[in-house]
Amino acid sequence: MTTSTIKPRSPEELRQAVEWALNDGTTLDVRGQGSKIAFGKPMACDQVLDLSGLSGVVDYAPEELVVTLRAGTPISEVEALLAQRNQMLAFEPPDLGPLLGQEAGQGTLVGAVMGNLAGPRRLSAGAARDHLLGFSGVNGRGESFKSGGKVMKNVTGYDLSKLLAGSWGTLAVLDQVSVKVLPAPDQTRTLLLLGLDDAAAVRAMCAALGSPHDISGAAHLPGKTALRIEGVAPSVEARLKALRELLIDLDAGMEELGTLESRAFWREVRDVAPLKVASGSVVWKISCPPTEGPAIVARIKALRPSAEAFYDWSGGLIWLALPPSADADHTIVRGAIGAKGGHATLIRASEAVRAAVPVFQPQPAALAALAVRVKESFDPKRLFNPGRMG
Amino acid sequence: MQMPPLDPAILARRSEIVAALRAIVPGEGVIDDLEGMRPYECDALSAYRQMPLVVVLPETVAQVSTILSYCQDNKVKVVPRGAGTSLSGGSMPVGDAILLGLGKFNRVLEIDYANRCARVQPGVTNLGISKAVEHEGFYYAPDPSSQIACSIGGNVAENSGGVHCLKYGLTTNNLLGIELVLMTGEVVRLGGKHLDSEGYDLLGVMTGSEGLLGVVTEVTVRLLRKPTTARAVLLGFPTEAGAADCVAAVIASGIIPGGMEMMDKEAVKCAEAYVGAGYPLDAEGLLIVELDGPPVEVDYLVERVAEIARGRGATTVRVSNDEQERVLFWAGRKAAFPAVGQITPDYMCLDGSVPRGRLVEVLAEMREMSKKHRLRVVNVFHAGDGNLHPLILFDANDADELHRAEEFGADILRLCVRVGGVLTGEHGVGIEKRDLMGVQFTEIDLDQQMRLKCAFDPDHLLNPGKVFPQLRRCAELGRVVVHHNKMPFPDIPRF
Amino acid sequence: MQTHFTLAQLADPETARSNDILRKCVHCGFCTATCPTFVLLGDERDSPRGRIYLIKSMIEDDRAPTAKEVRHVDRCLSCLSCMTTCPSGVNYMHLVDHGRHHIEETFTRTLPDRFMRGVLAYLMPRPAAFRWAMVLGRLAKPLAPLLPATSSDPGGATFLRRLRAMLEAVPDKVPTPSPVDRPQVFPALGVQRKRVALMPGCGQQVLAPEVNEATVRLLTRLDIEVVNVAGSGCCGSSVLHVGRNDQAIELAKRNITAWLREIDGAGLDAIVINASGCGTTVKDYGHMLADDPVWAEKAKQVASLAKDVTEIVAEVGLSGIVPRPLTVAYHSACSMQHGQKLDALPKKLLREAGFMVKDVPEGHLCCGWAGTYQVLQPDLSRRLRDRKVANIESVRPDVIAAGNFGCIGNIASGTGIPIAHTVELLDWATGGPKPAALI
Repeated sequence: MTTSTIKPRSPEELRQAVEWALNDGTTLDVRGQGSKIAFGKPMACDQVLDLSGLSGVVDYAPEELVVTLRAGTPISEVEALLAQRNQMLAFEPPDLGPLLGQEAGQGTLVGAVMGNLAGPRRLSAGAARDHLLGFSGVNGRGESFKSGGKVMKNVTGYDLSKLLAGSWGTLAVLDQVSVKVLPAPDQTRTLLLLGLDDAAAVRAMCAALGSPHDISGAAHLPGKTALRIEGVAPSVEARLKALRELLIDLDAGMEELGTLESRAFWREVRDVAPLKVASGSVVWKISCPPTEGPAIVARIKALRPSAEAFYDWSGGLIWLALPPSADADHTIVRGAIGAKGGHATLIRASEAVRAAVPVFQPQPAALAALAVRVKESFDPKRLFNPGRMG
Repeated sequence: MQMPPLDPAILARRSEIVAALRAIVPGEGVIDDLEGMRPYECDALSAYRQMPLVVVLPETVAQVSTILSYCQDNKVKVVPRGAGTSLSGGSMPVGDAILLGLGKFNRVLEIDYANRCARVQPGVTNLGISKAVEHEGFYYAPDPSSQIACSIGGNVAENSGGVHCLKYGLTTNNLLGIELVLMTGEVVRLGGKHLDSEGYDLLGVMTGSEGLLGVVTEVTVRLLRKPTTARAVLLGFPTEAGAADCVAAVIASGIIPGGMEMMDKEAVKCAEAYVGAGYPLDAEGLLIVELDGPPVEVDYLVERVAEIARGRGATTVRVSNDEQERVLFWAGRKAAFPAVGQITPDYMCLDGSVPRGRLVEVLAEMREMSKKHRLRVVNVFHAGDGNLHPLILFDANDADELHRAEEFGADILRLCVRVGGVLTGEHGVGIEKRDLMGVQFTEIDLDQQMRLKCAFDPDHLLNPGKVFPQLRRCAELGRVVVHHNKMPFPDIPRF
Repeated sequence: MQTHFTLAQLADPETARSNDILRKCVHCGFCTATCPTFVLLGDERDSPRGRIYLIKSMIEDDRAPTAKEVRHVDRCLSCLSCMTTCPSGVNYMHLVDHGRHHIEETFTRTLPDRFMRGVLAYLMPRPAAFRWAMVLGRLAKPLAPLLPATSSDPGGATFLRRLRAMLEAVPDKVPTPSPVDRPQVFPALGVQRKRVALMPGCGQQVLAPEVNEATVRLLTRLDIEVVNVAGSGCCGSSVLHVGRNDQAIELAKRNITAWLREIDGAGLDAIVINASGCGTTVKDYGHMLADDPVWAEKAKQVASLAKDVTEIVAEVGLSGIVPRPLTVAYHSACSMQHGQKLDALPKKLLREAGFMVKDVPEGHLCCGWAGTYQVLQPDLSRRLRDRKVANIESVRPDVIAAGNFGCIGNIASGTGIPIAHTVELLDWATGGPKPAALI
């Protein structure tokens, strides 16, 4: 069990800490603010490596669309800074704190990157992986290394940024990252379609995304299907009108949300707030081809009628809540995905359940073996977050 | 260009290897005569050439898998090749390696409009994807200038960009899945029609890995619906600096154009001679800015960009009137590299990336270098994302010019790194920038990358001699040095 | 691109020109993607860039090519799609002609191959002999199914497969010779606006005499006097493409002599050609005879007067249009769009004549006819034809139009949709008879 915490104040101290851990055979539970510790396979680490001592924005060049910051910098600080220059993190990192039993508004930007998180704008702007331009950090050999850079286009060497994004701290400990930022839209509006069932809603969302109207969010909540349009005022107006015409044949009621209402609505979708979660429920995140979403949910509901679900990413992301069970119904959930592809991640469950079932989708043998070799190429002694990804 | 020493044992077994390949790929698909292999001795970086051991052109995934597992078992090196349009020598053959061409994998397998994606074989051209879906109003966004010919498999290997990636991203941002044959012959799938990875993002790592990690045999890409309208604006400036300033000002104003390209006077002249797009021949710097979206938005943005440009001294402001004219504006830009072939027998195309704010000083310094090395340089580049493409003009029939061109190129790339940029924005390291990797990376950085390579290809059989300036054996790289019982570092705060 | 010619080699003007062409190539590979054989086969050797390499190697080393090298150069259709694509301005046409010439001079083909090429080179430029061959071929045609099928390994186009392709290309009915194809003058119907020579051609007057008839009707109706000049005939392209430069030059000289006589006599505003393959060659006479001090200037003069029939029609403009509400799929012959860079003009005329004109997907790809190619490379030719027909049928036209009789016959053999020459449709729309294909 975790016994003590080590908190470096500089990249060099971070490197020394890892070198010490390597020499000492000490495993490290790597954390920013610990807002997502309730996610992943439970770990039994010797030591907590706390990165909150490495905090602050190093460089922000709005006209270059890049911000460079230390690993422990709170996400709220970054967002506030960008807002001053009317810019944003386009991948809309969600705040999963409340879902994971913590307070809202916590977490570091690097933590979001490590989980490759993304909100509704994943559809058009990509996930954290698409915005991490470069980083420096320490590998499991206690060596400081870097990859990528601060420029938009860079193919010099392997794209380790992609690999680190979504690695949940199991490959290397970062001390600094450069992240792409984008201008924030002047206006955000939402078209709500009322009363569509899941299948009709996904068809409508796919049709909207297949239109030229540049949809930046497409979510389906029970009884309510939402399409987001952002941009400069005249453009938003024209696209909304065209979108209404496109969907007129659906015979669904239509409503619109203005900019402020829209921002609040999509923040809730981003943070999974619309999901009805009872205490003790388990929560799954399923990624699938958008048109497959309704069939997957239907297959699960056939076996677990009390399942709650809503869709984001035009149907390609399903947030699913199931009543408590010893195995989180993982065979049912993963069995429902079918041959068209996709994967299910167990986002929330008790420690015992997470210990018992695969949190991440199991991979075919050749891929799983490759993943192990990749892990060892960074962290041969398995110092960082051992076992967190299963 | 120094390549790894040839393995005499492999060379001695050549006829046996050829026979093994013939047993896998029938017909004309194995090329072992000197005359037949010669057309394969280089890609679009023709200054560097090398004859392969043998060329093989498989037609099925099973053949690719059998070839790779044969090569793994027999420790035979493999150089994968798509359309052979690499500008960094990414698919230049190696003397003791088979050249594995994917040219016969040229079918579109599935188009799924509802999920907005297409599944294609890796030899399908980049433009071929857009052509296959254009009648439904869709397209594939990344559009490298060689899109007419470059293959999507090659785009994955190089993480190709293009003139529209400022707004729509590079290959890596538009790729949903691949089928991949590992060096062992194992066939694995990464991604699919869904988003994000269930484990490590190996799809992200494969993209831009320059054929060093595996052979891609199928690609699933994201399709986008064409914007309602797109208009291109030609902005001519009396100085290069004026054009570069305008680029920074447009971005700073919060506009992300669909594309924002710059050409210098010489490039404009060549491109104009080929396409006749009506480029202003008197401009020292020409910008092509594309704005897309609904007509009201495009009109609004065109006006704002024009205003910014005039404020920065633009002498020409011309907006495309229809789709045909927009395509014509771009045609010159897209053909600009080879069009320079009209005024020089050879050129070397560089690909450094720099922060936008440093464009002006980089361009000025490049002009000085041009004088020093006594070679002309023509600039065509993706100004919007700071990705430079200086073309150094030389004559390969003159050995000294080739040498000077190499020196000049290296100086430019060092300059890019010095101002906070990188060696390559979209063409890849290949052999061309291999020996400069040390300018951007430390030995530790490179060792870490090579260890990742070892996880995929422990015997360094795939595309040897590329990307890394020197190879170290995986066993050596894998060793972990542990100093037990050393005193913990006393200064770091603990709780 | 780097080259390694010796000064002695460069003393040969043909080699010197090829060196200049090669030096322009930057090996970018753009041409590969638009090359029909590369699209089918995916092998660099079957692409323009690969062939440039093969040809460079054989002429640089001044050696006889290998049989494999010859096979890949032979597969070139001479469609010149690559030249449309090439931004560096590489003149592939002249380079591949040099390559073919070099092959013909230094390489010994197999006996059946030589025989087949000899027969074609003899028949193609001689309308009378060609007609007799068609009549005999008509008798032998029922035997074609007994020969091995054309669809096999593209590398192994054997004598018998080629023979079968040849027989299959024989029309079921050989038309009777047209009176317009004899030397004579056709006066303008109204006040004469221009005076032109009509190139009588060779294969076309045997297989599709209606094209010259329609051309004469259309041009005279547009007040152009048309002369069929005695002594003019085959342009030489069919023999040039099998590497027989000397024979091609003789034919060119014959035409030049005939037309110069007319130019110096009653005068000519243009030499009108309605088979675009011939047009490409006549427009290139200047290059063909550039090294001949006696003929160079004359050839240039004639070449400068050569015009496709649509160019001359556009110059005077269409009039008296009776619109025919048909959807036309316009097949742009390679010699038209790549050889002569005339792509938009024929479509514009057809639109002006009241037709709904549709572009064909993959319009840049050859239909596979390419002169003797359909006989010498039956498998590739057939695959390209089927691909072309599928693309044409995808736009669901009422009629197909093209400006080259070879393409017309070839495409017609693969589809039930009627097909006519562009001038037949223009003639019809301005008061002429309905094209036979539409009846």
